[in-house]
Parts: sequence; C-alpha cells; structure tokens
Amino acid sequence: MAEMLESLKEPIFETLYLTFVPLFFAVIFGFIIGVAIFITSSESMIIDTRGHIGLRIINRLADGLVNIFRSIPYLILLIWVNPLANLLTGSMIGATAAIPSLVISATPFYARMVTIAFTEINKGTIEASKALGANTFQIIFKVLISESKPALISGIAMTAISLVSYSAMAGAIGAGGLGFEAFTYGIARRNTERMLITTFIIVIIVFIIQFIGDYFAKKVDKR
Amino acid sequence: MIRFEKVNKTYLGKKNVEAVRDVSLTINDGEIFGIVGYSGAGKSTLIRLVNQLEKVTSGHIYINDVDITALKGKELRQERQKIGMIFQHFNLLWSKTVLENIAFPLEISHISKKERLAKAKAMAEEVGLADKINVYPSNLSGGQKQRVAIARALILNPDILLCDEATSALDPKTTEDILDLLKRINQKYHITILMITHQMETVQKICHRLAVMADGAVIESDTVENIFADPKKELTKQLIQTVDTGVDVKKMALSLKQKYPDGHLLRVTFEKDNSEKPVFYEVITKLNIPINIVSANIKNTQAGALGVMYIHIEMRQEIAPLIEELQRREVKVEVI
Repeated sequence: MAEMLESLKEPIFETLYLTFVPLFFAVIFGFIIGVAIFITSSESMIIDTRGHIGLRIINRLADGLVNIFRSIPYLILLIWVNPLANLLTGSMIGATAAIPSLVISATPFYARMVTIAFTEINKGTIEASKALGANTFQIIFKVLISESKPALISGIAMTAISLVSYSAMAGAIGAGGLGFEAFTYGIARRNTERMLITTFIIVIIVFIIQFIGDYFAKKVDKR
Repeated sequence: MIRFEKVNKTYLGKKNVEAVRDVSLTINDGEIFGIVGYSGAGKSTLIRLVNQLEKVTSGHIYINDVDITALKGKELRQERQKIGMIFQHFNLLWSKTVLENIAFPLEISHISKKERLAKAKAMAEEVGLADKINVYPSNLSGGQKQRVAIARALILNPDILLCDEATSALDPKTTEDILDLLKRINQKYHITILMITHQMETVQKICHRLAVMADGAVIESDTVENIFADPKKELTKQLIQTVDTGVDVKKMALSLKQKYPDGHLLRVTFEKDNSEKPVFYEVITKLNIPINIVSANIKNTQAGALGVMYIHIEMRQEIAPLIEELQRREVKVEVI
C-alpha cells in the first residue's frame, strides 16, 4: 500500500502541475477577455457604445470566440492544438505539451465566469461610481472587481476543477497525471485497486479545491 | 446655478420615447428645488441629464455657466465631481466599509489614504454615523445607508446635490430625518439641491420652489407657497389634494355631491400670519353660515406655516359672500 502511494507521487504531482499552471494563465487571459466583453457590452452602461462600431466589433468577436471554444470538446481541442503545442514547447507528448490546449480550453470558461460575475453587480452601483467621476479604469479595478470578488473566486475554483478533469483526458497524449494512471493501470492492466485509489485521490483533490474556493468566496462576501 | 435650456431627450428604438420634452428651468444657487410627477413623467431622465449619466438629444444644461452637455472625458468627470448624487436604493459598495464608501470619491481623485480617511471620518460624524464607520453597508438600516450615501456625495464639497427619489424607499420617520439632514446641509454649506420625487409631501417640507412634470414636460413651476395656494393645472391640484387630506378629494367631492346635491366643497388656504389668526371664526360668526369641516391641517414649509382646510356647506346657500369675506382677509378660496 505504502509502495503504491509512493509510486503515485509522480502522477499526483503531474495532475497538480496540469491543473495549476494552466489555471494561472487561464485566469489572467480569461479575466482580460471577460472584462473586455463586459465593458464593451451596451448593457453594462460603462461606456456609451452607441456609435462606436469598433467597441461593438470587439464585443461580438470576443463573445463569439468564447462561445465557440467553450463548445469544442476538450479531447478534440487537444488534437487540434497539438501542432501549436509542439511549436511552443518543442514536444508533442508529455505534461508540458498538454498545457497550451488546457489553457485554450479553460480561458473561455473563466472568461464566461467573469462576465457572469460582473453582470450580477447592481447597475446602480456602477451608475453611482460614474456620477462620482470614476473613469472606466477605476470602475474596473475599484468597483467591478471588489463588488464581484466572491463570484470571481468561485469561478477560479470551478475552472480549476474542470482543469483536473481535462488533465485526465490529457493523459491520452501521454501527459501523465492521475487520469493516465487510472487508464493504463486500471483499464489496460485491470488493476482495480489501483484504479480505485487513483479515482479517490482525484475526488479528494477536487474536494480540496472546492473547499478552498468556498472558504475564500465566503470570507470576502460582506453582503 | 443650473440652467436647462430647451432640453430634449428621446430614446431611439422600435418606438421612440420622448422622455424629456423642451424643458427650460433655472435653479438658483443655494435653493432646494423639487421636481414632482408620477412615474414615467421623465423626472429620472431629467436629473440624469444634469450630470450627463444620460446625454441630451438637443438643448443645453449650464452649470455655473459651463455647458455640461458639451463636456467629454476627463473634463466631464471633473465636472461630475462638483455634483453629488444620491439614489433611491443608495447604491453603496457592499464590499467596502462605511468609511471606505464615504472616502471612495477621494480615492478616485487620488488623495492619500491618510487624508481621505480623516476627511471621511469627519463627514461620517457630520451625518451622524460616527459609531458605524467600520461596519459594512449590509448591516445598516435604510436611513443609515442613505446617510452614508449623503456623506459620500458631499465629501468632495460639491456645489450641487442631486437627489433621485432619495426618500422613496424609507419609512415616514426616517424620511423626516433624512429631509432634516438635507435641509441642514443646504443651510450650512449653501449647497444647491435638486430633488425628484413622486411624493408632493417631501417637496412641501423642504423645497423652496418646485416644478411639476408630466409626459416629459414641465407643466407648472413656482414657489412652493404659490403652488400650494393656487395650483393652476389639474395634475398639480390632484397631487396637492392628496397631500392635504391623504384621500382622493375628487372621490370625496363626488360622494358629497350625491348626498347633498346643493352643497358646495371649498378648499381654503391660509398663509403665513393668517394661519395663526382666528380668521375663519370671524367670518362665520359674521355671516352666520353653518359649515362642516371635512379636513384641516397646518404644514410647515420653507416659507412658513401653510394651513389648508376643506369645508362643506350643505344647504342651498349663497356662498359668494363667504368667499368675498375670506378673500378680503387674504385667504385663498377655491370651489371644487
């Protein structure tokens, strides 16, 4: 048993690597795209978009791309992106090679979370900030972020959880991780015990992420 | 001074909506000016045009001789900082404490943390929230939230305060407190207050002058005393009568008419000194007419006490001498 856990150390590490490295990039890119979609939408009333064709194009384009990439199943995306991953990381297989596809798949996911979080902010608060003389930049950083903190944090947790499950699929191109472990030992070699333990560890990881996310989301919520 | 000059606002859409139509108004420095009307009259749009939260379709709005409709970007934002605004639903930032909310406009103007917190503290005291500065808005009552909003609106020492239905979400007692606070602020800082409301009572209590809006247009505008003593338009009369009696006077008049087809219903207003003299007693003893008081009250306005009485005369009587006697004593009479 101890031996088995010892041998699972590396796949656990790989799963965490495949979750948190793409998460870091997805949160940054997703946030930027989410902000861009929200402030260029006419409903947010932050910028007067009437007559600004450019802003409307940005809005439609970003929104459309998010929708398209959110609809592509991860496994298919993984295959599509593989040549790009090869170009970026110099490898077609292995954990690092899976990172670009994981980022591309998690970014639109988080971008959508960000726009939803912002949409839930009371429009009156945004209006009041404008009336007080805040510029768009100040509205983003001093109003939107602080007023939607709980939802932004929950969104990070949800993105991380979906990355755990994508990373299992990434095992298919030899990215390693617990998913790959379950597949090779559990299914190919019919080692039920190992498959159960691997699955159990994945569930624990997801629970921990959820717990941490909930904890911080609750902590910053002063409503 | 705020000067509206032929201001129009039309929302374009499948069906164009003329929210504000040809409004010209001047609001003087240091004045409390009320705009009254039912919902959908265009009040909310009008007040948002003052700080350009909405853009005019045509016309100009001058604020101390600066045409705010011509300003953009940074210039507009700087002008907005001279115009405070409070809202029906307070619109505070729930993620910030009372003190941080009050200091928020200073944060926007890049004032150092130490200085802005000191100023915000003083302002919190001013509005009576000294013991709540570290509390989050969700733990405050409606009246306290509006106090925070008022403090936030005043922290940059604006010349103008816009009130968008500021007391409509509050109970009567709290409304009274907030109105007192606004009155005190107006006197202390000589700040011009423009308020919109559907409650005529609010206007009567603290405004110097008022305008009545219907279908996007200002239909009547005068001092509060004059409007209450002598309303010209039907809508204005309606709004005032509801404040007078708390009931629909039209319905009351109809039911009286059914019972006493020959009776007369009069609305009598006493202003200033008259409201303290036994004018009515003198008149009815002189003429010896039996009258029935339907409703009577005295209200305090910025211009002094205002007494309003609804009287009913049951029998077929000549009411002309009564009206004459009352008018001779500078009492206004209107036959309903």
